[in-house]
Amino acid sequence: MRSEATKGLTLSAPATLYVGFLVAAPLAILVAYSLWTQTYVSVDRTPTLANYREAFTDPLVRHLMIRSILIAATVTIATVALAYPIAYFIALRAERKTLWLLLITIPFWSSYLLRVFAWKLILGFNGVMNSALLGLGLIDEPLTFLLYNEFAVVLTLAHAWAPFAILPIYVSIQKIDLSLLEAATDLGNGPVQRFLRVTLPLTIPGIIAACLIIFIPTVGDYVTPSLVGGSDGKMIANLIQVQFGAANNWPLGATLSLLAMMSVGFVAILFVLSSTSLGRRIR
Amino acid sequence: MTEKNIIQLQGVEKRFGNFTAVSDLNLDLREGEFFSLLGPSGCGKTTALRMIAGFQEPSAGKVFIDGEDMEGIPANSRPTNMVFQSYAIFPHLNVGNNVAYGLRNRGIAKSEIDQRVTEALEMVELGGLQERGATELSGGQRQRVALARALVMRPKVLLLDEPLSALDKKLREQMQFEMRHLQQELGITFVMVTHDQYEAMTMSDRIGVMFDGRLVQVDEPPTLYAKPCNRNIASFIGEMNFLPAHVTEENGKGLTVTTPCFGILDIEKNPNVAQTGRDIEIGIRPEQLEISREKPEDYDGTVQGKVRDVAFYGENVHYHVQVDGVEKPIAASVPNYFHTVDHRPGDPIWLGVQSTSIIDLGQNTIKS
Repeated sequence: MRSEATKGLTLSAPATLYVGFLVAAPLAILVAYSLWTQTYVSVDRTPTLANYREAFTDPLVRHLMIRSILIAATVTIATVALAYPIAYFIALRAERKTLWLLLITIPFWSSYLLRVFAWKLILGFNGVMNSALLGLGLIDEPLTFLLYNEFAVVLTLAHAWAPFAILPIYVSIQKIDLSLLEAATDLGNGPVQRFLRVTLPLTIPGIIAACLIIFIPTVGDYVTPSLVGGSDGKMIANLIQVQFGAANNWPLGATLSLLAMMSVGFVAILFVLSSTSLGRRIR
Repeated sequence: MTEKNIIQLQGVEKRFGNFTAVSDLNLDLREGEFFSLLGPSGCGKTTALRMIAGFQEPSAGKVFIDGEDMEGIPANSRPTNMVFQSYAIFPHLNVGNNVAYGLRNRGIAKSEIDQRVTEALEMVELGGLQERGATELSGGQRQRVALARALVMRPKVLLLDEPLSALDKKLREQMQFEMRHLQQELGITFVMVTHDQYEAMTMSDRIGVMFDGRLVQVDEPPTLYAKPCNRNIASFIGEMNFLPAHVTEENGKGLTVTTPCFGILDIEKNPNVAQTGRDIEIGIRPEQLEISREKPEDYDGTVQGKVRDVAFYGENVHYHVQVDGVEKPIAASVPNYFHTVDHRPGDPIWLGVQSTSIIDLGQNTIKS
C-alpha cells in the first residue's frame, strides 16, 4: 500500500518535470543571460545591470513596447467585441450549437502561417480586396493603406484569435441559469437593462479569460508583424528576434524578453483587478 | 378575500408544435386568495403560470389581470412577480441588492429602497442579512430571499412555481405555514403551482387540478378530498380504494348500488361527476374503513377478508386486506393510538364501511 502523498507525487510528476524543464529552467537561463554582457565573440559572465540600463534609456525599445501593448490591446478589444455577440448567439439562440462551434474552429484546420499569408493576398496591392474594389468601380487605383501597417496587423491577429475569444465567452454565457434572465425580466428589466445587469456581470470571468488568452500571446507575436506589418507595424518581438539573430546580442535579447514579460504581466493584473471590481459595482 | 376577480383566464390554450400543453383553460381567481394549480408533472400547470407571468403568449384565448387584457404586454410590464422553482437568486449580488433589484427599475429614491428592502427582509425573517452573499445562503434562505425580492415589488399577484420542492421535508412543512401566514397578512393573491397534493391542501383556499393540459376540477381542499369529480383526481389526491358498483336505483340525490363485497348500499350522488350511468365506480378512503377481528356492528356494509400486507407509517398503520370478489387488496388505515400493530399478515379480519363515506366517482372507465 502506497501512501496518499506518494500517489499524489506520482500523479503530479509528469507535469512537474514538464514545467521544470520547459518553463522554469529556460526562464532561469533567460534571467542569467540578462545579467551578462555580449563581447564580440563570447559572453562576459560578470553580473551587471547594463542591459537593463540600455533597454530603459533606448527610445526605440520604449516605442516598440508601447506600440506592442497598444496593438495587442486593440486586437483584444476588437476580438472580444466581435466574439461576444457570436458567443451569445450560439449559447442562447442557436439550435445547432455543436455545428456552430465546429464552424468556428475551421480556420484552425490550416496553419497559422498560411492564414497570415492569406491576409497578405487579400490585402495586397494587387490583392483580392483591391481587385474586387477596382472591378466594382468603387476605387480608381489600388488602396495602399490596407497592407504593411498596424491596421493589417490588428486585422490579421483579430481573425486568428477569434475562436479563442468565442469559446471562453460561450462557456460563461452557457453557464447562466436561464431563470436568472427571466427573473430580471419579471422584476421589470427590458432586454438591454437585463443584459447590462445580469448577463454582462455574470460573463465577466469569460471576458477576462478571453482578454488574457488573446492579449498575452499577441504582445509577443512576431510572425504577423514581420509579414504584414511593414516598418510601421513592427513590434517588440521583432526587436527581440533581431537580438538573438542578426544583432547577435543574446543578453540584451534576454533582457528585452523579461521586460516584455513583466510589462504584459503588469497590464494583465491591472486589467483583471479593474474589471472584477467594475463587475462588483454593477447592481 | 373579496369577490373581485384579479385574474381571468378565458379559453386559454398553448400549443408547442403539435403538442397542446394547455387547452381551453377557463379560470377566475379572486383577489386575495391563495390558489394552487395542482397536477402531475407535464400536465400544463407551469405553462399556465408562465402565461399569466407573460413568459409565454397563449396560442388562443385571453388573460386578464385586474380587468386588463394582457395580450401584447411583456412580462416586465405586468403587475405580477414570480418566485422561481430554482429561486433564480442573482449570484453576483448580495441579499440586499437581490431584493432591491426590481425597485431600482422604478426610479425610487435610495432611502425608500433601503427601507423597503429592510422591511421585506424582516418580513421573511432575514432581517440584517443585506450584506450576505447570494452564494452563502442555505436552501431555505434562498427561498426567503426569492420571496422577499418578489413581495417587495408589491405585486397584484404573486406567482409561485413549485416554491418548496427544493427544500427538505421539515423545512418545507415550516415554510408552508409561514407562506400561508404571509399571504393572509399581506392580502396579496398567491397563485402556486405544485405537484405535491399535501402542499396544495395545507396552503390553499382553492385548488385547481390539471391533467393532460385540462383543468379538471376547481374546489376548496375539503371538497376536493371528499367529492373528487373523477378517478384521476381521487387517486391523485390522498389514497383511495376503487370498487366497481352497479346502480339499481336512482332517486334525486341518492343512488342505490350493488357492490362486489359490501352488499347493497344507499349512497349520495356526487354533484361534481360529469359522466354517470348504470356501471359506476365508487371510492372509499382508507381511513373511513373500520377494521376489527369481530364483525363490526352498526356498519352499513361489512366484509370478511385476510390481511395481506401491513405498512407501518408511524402516525397510522395501513392494512392491505384481500377480499373475495375484489382483485386488488383493500387498504384500511388505522390511527396509531396505542403504538401497537394489532393485525399480522394472514390474520382473518372484518372490514366495515358507512354508506355516507362512500364516494360516487361516476361512470366506470376501467372495465365493465
